Amino acid sequence: MMSVTPASDAAATPADDLKGPAAGFGLAAAIAILFNSLLAWEPLNAYMVSLGGDFWRTHGVAAVVAFFVLGYLFTYHKFRIDGFRLAVLLAAASIVAGGGLALWFALV
Amino acid sequence: MNDVILFAHPIFGMLGVLASVWVFVEALNASEANRSRIRIAAFIVTGCLVVAWALGGYWRLAFYASEKAIILKGPWPWAHNFVMETKERLFFIPLILALYLPIAAAANLARNGGARVVVMVAAAFIALNGLAIEGAGAVISYAVKVASVHAGVAGVE
Repeated sequence: MMSVTPASDAAATPADDLKGPAAGFGLAAAIAILFNSLLAWEPLNAYMVSLGGDFWRTHGVAAVVAFFVLGYLFTYHKFRIDGFRLAVLLAAASIVAGGGLALWFALV
Repeated sequence: MNDVILFAHPIFGMLGVLASVWVFVEALNASEANRSRIRIAAFIVTGCLVVAWALGGYWRLAFYASEKAIILKGPWPWAHNFVMETKERLFFIPLILALYLPIAAAANLARNGGARVVVMVAAAFIALNGLAIEGAGAVISYAVKVASVHAGVAGVE
């Protein structure tokens, strides 16, 4: 019995795989982008003010630090991903995070 | 000097948008010939957005409180409550993508189709978010003017 392979997977080859920092920091970027939007939750503002003097300064530093720390960890653990899947992940994270931010501030 | 910082911040943002469009087009036509050009353009995107962050951050922390008070007293309070609140957090999406761009562009895009698509997607979202943020900045700036006119401040028109 033949297995059915989706066209997108059939087109993907090992040459399309990302490894090393490109893969690790790519996944970290998607997670940090979503984490950035979660930091917009208002009850966190007071805590972020206590950490950095201004919530926005702490917010930005936290998002960037999350990107670099997660990227280092994923790279260290030799994370590997198909480039096309990572591209979809980055696009989805950007759309969900950006749309979520706009929706959140439109409603509150 | 403060006016220079105020205007330099969106200028570097827009230069970052232009450079990300440059990266997108170079990646679309990736070959051995433009490999180093893609990397240089990716680093320019990162540099521009980091400088825009530093300049915008300085302005945001040093001066925005007084502008916020003016906007909230005017007829467009949503320019702060919705536009600025969203903009100042949305900015970190293209910033993170810009920090990632040179890392992804280090791969051989002519041989790795996956890396090429990742670079194109990151560059496209930097450009789209950047344009949205530039537009938001214009709305916020105009809201200060509208509030000042509404309050009868002479010479604002």
